[in-house]
Amino acid sequence: MEVTLFIHAADDAFRILENAKVQAVGLLDTATRLTSETRWMEEKKVQGILKGAQATRSGFQNFVATFVMLMGFWALLSGKFDTFHLSLGVICSVIVAYLSHDLLFANVRVGDGRVIAQRFIRYIPWLLYEIVTANFYVAYLALSPKMPIDPQIIRFKTKLESDISWVTLANSITLTPGTITIDIADREFMVHALDRKVAGDLDTGEMEDRVAHIFMEADHIYIQDVLDVSRIFAELKRGM
Amino acid sequence: MNEFFVAVGLGLCILVFLVLYRVIFGPGVFNRIAAISAIGTKTLIILLVLGYVYNRVDMFIDISMVYALLNFIGCIAAAKYLEMER
Amino acid sequence: MIASSDDIIIKTIARIFVPFIQLYALYVIMHGHYSPGGGFQGGVILGASMALLLITHGYDEVKRRLPEGVVMLLGSVGVLIYAGIGLTCLLLGGNYLDYSQLSVILHVDPAHARSLGILGVELGVGFTVMAIMYSIFFDISTGGILPGDEKRNEELENNG
Repeated sequence: MEVTLFIHAADDAFRILENAKVQAVGLLDTATRLTSETRWMEEKKVQGILKGAQATRSGFQNFVATFVMLMGFWALLSGKFDTFHLSLGVICSVIVAYLSHDLLFANVRVGDGRVIAQRFIRYIPWLLYEIVTANFYVAYLALSPKMPIDPQIIRFKTKLESDISWVTLANSITLTPGTITIDIADREFMVHALDRKVAGDLDTGEMEDRVAHIFMEADHIYIQDVLDVSRIFAELKRGM
Repeated sequence: MNEFFVAVGLGLCILVFLVLYRVIFGPGVFNRIAAISAIGTKTLIILLVLGYVYNRVDMFIDISMVYALLNFIGCIAAAKYLEMER
Repeated sequence: MIASSDDIIIKTIARIFVPFIQLYALYVIMHGHYSPGGGFQGGVILGASMALLLITHGYDEVKRRLPEGVVMLLGSVGVLIYAGIGLTCLLLGGNYLDYSQLSVILHVDPAHARSLGILGVELGVGFTVMAIMYSIFFDISTGGILPGDEKRNEELENNG
């Protein structure tokens, strides 16, 4: 009984989503029918709304954050903590932070820095474990007399959004023995893998999920995925 | 402890000579650039091991950091030059 | 005329590294007494960081941060610091570059004055070396042709 109610509710939900998609497509058609200036103005308005919703850091916050990181790096490098050397460190950090304060933190959203740093520190041991296990497998491949490698290039589209997460994923793939990232073009990764097994380890998408978890991205539902599920659900229901 | 470090250093030197084969005989420029970059990483570790042997690690860490930096920049500069030449 | 690279990985890594490379170069200059380093080495690393920024981000980005006029000025200022400290020591009654005479101005004992004097001279050397590395790299990479001048040079070549 409850199952039937659930099925009816799911049906209704999928139908509502289908209607919403049809309406959105209709809106887009209307937008393309407008003249070019009006369309440009509409786009500008939508951009303004989206940018305002996502507050970014100001220049001064970037400067202070860069200064703090550089000062920490200086303290790490120079083991001397007397006044003279610390004041030299402060002067040098101020100069470098002034020259390059918009380089280090270009795309991070406000308030996320500490969480990302914590999650990144927790990601590193898992990565080391993956590297060690893949190392054993590639060593076995390289040292066996027939060398049963099967080189192939894999392409996949990624769900990550900002450039730092792409670079983190690309570096993690390259650090893991057996796979090398060749190129990223338009959110599509090209990876060269040595063997079907290491390629299979990449295909499960676990590394991508973990990197998305670090940078708090890809945590919203994609409408298209839900609608695909609705089609499969309808098929299953018809076959039942 | 010293003997262990010297043995590690010698082992890495032998590995450098193995990669040197690819530098000399590598067909084409790209093989040579990748091999020189690999030799750079081995040299870095040999420098640190020498630091332990001479018991003055803090001095050798500075040198090896500079060498790592220049290896990285050199590799990227060579790749950019070859890309622009085609 | 170097265009910006269209590879995201190299661009992101370079832009994260450049502040740390520059700070490391300044650390090498300042700690010339205690560890391998000094003026020349730090200046080379600073110049290398500018070269990295040029290769990955293109000519416009570097010109925005350090235009060539400012860099030439920095080079001259470096030589001025070096010669200036030497002349000050001369004017205060010692030999040229005899830093112990600086203790009169700085109110420290002569050994401390020597240390500070060498630090100042290394700073000047570092600035000059950075300026020269920057200038050499830019002149070779752009072939002596600034972005606005390309058409004029072509006309000169065509006219013979």
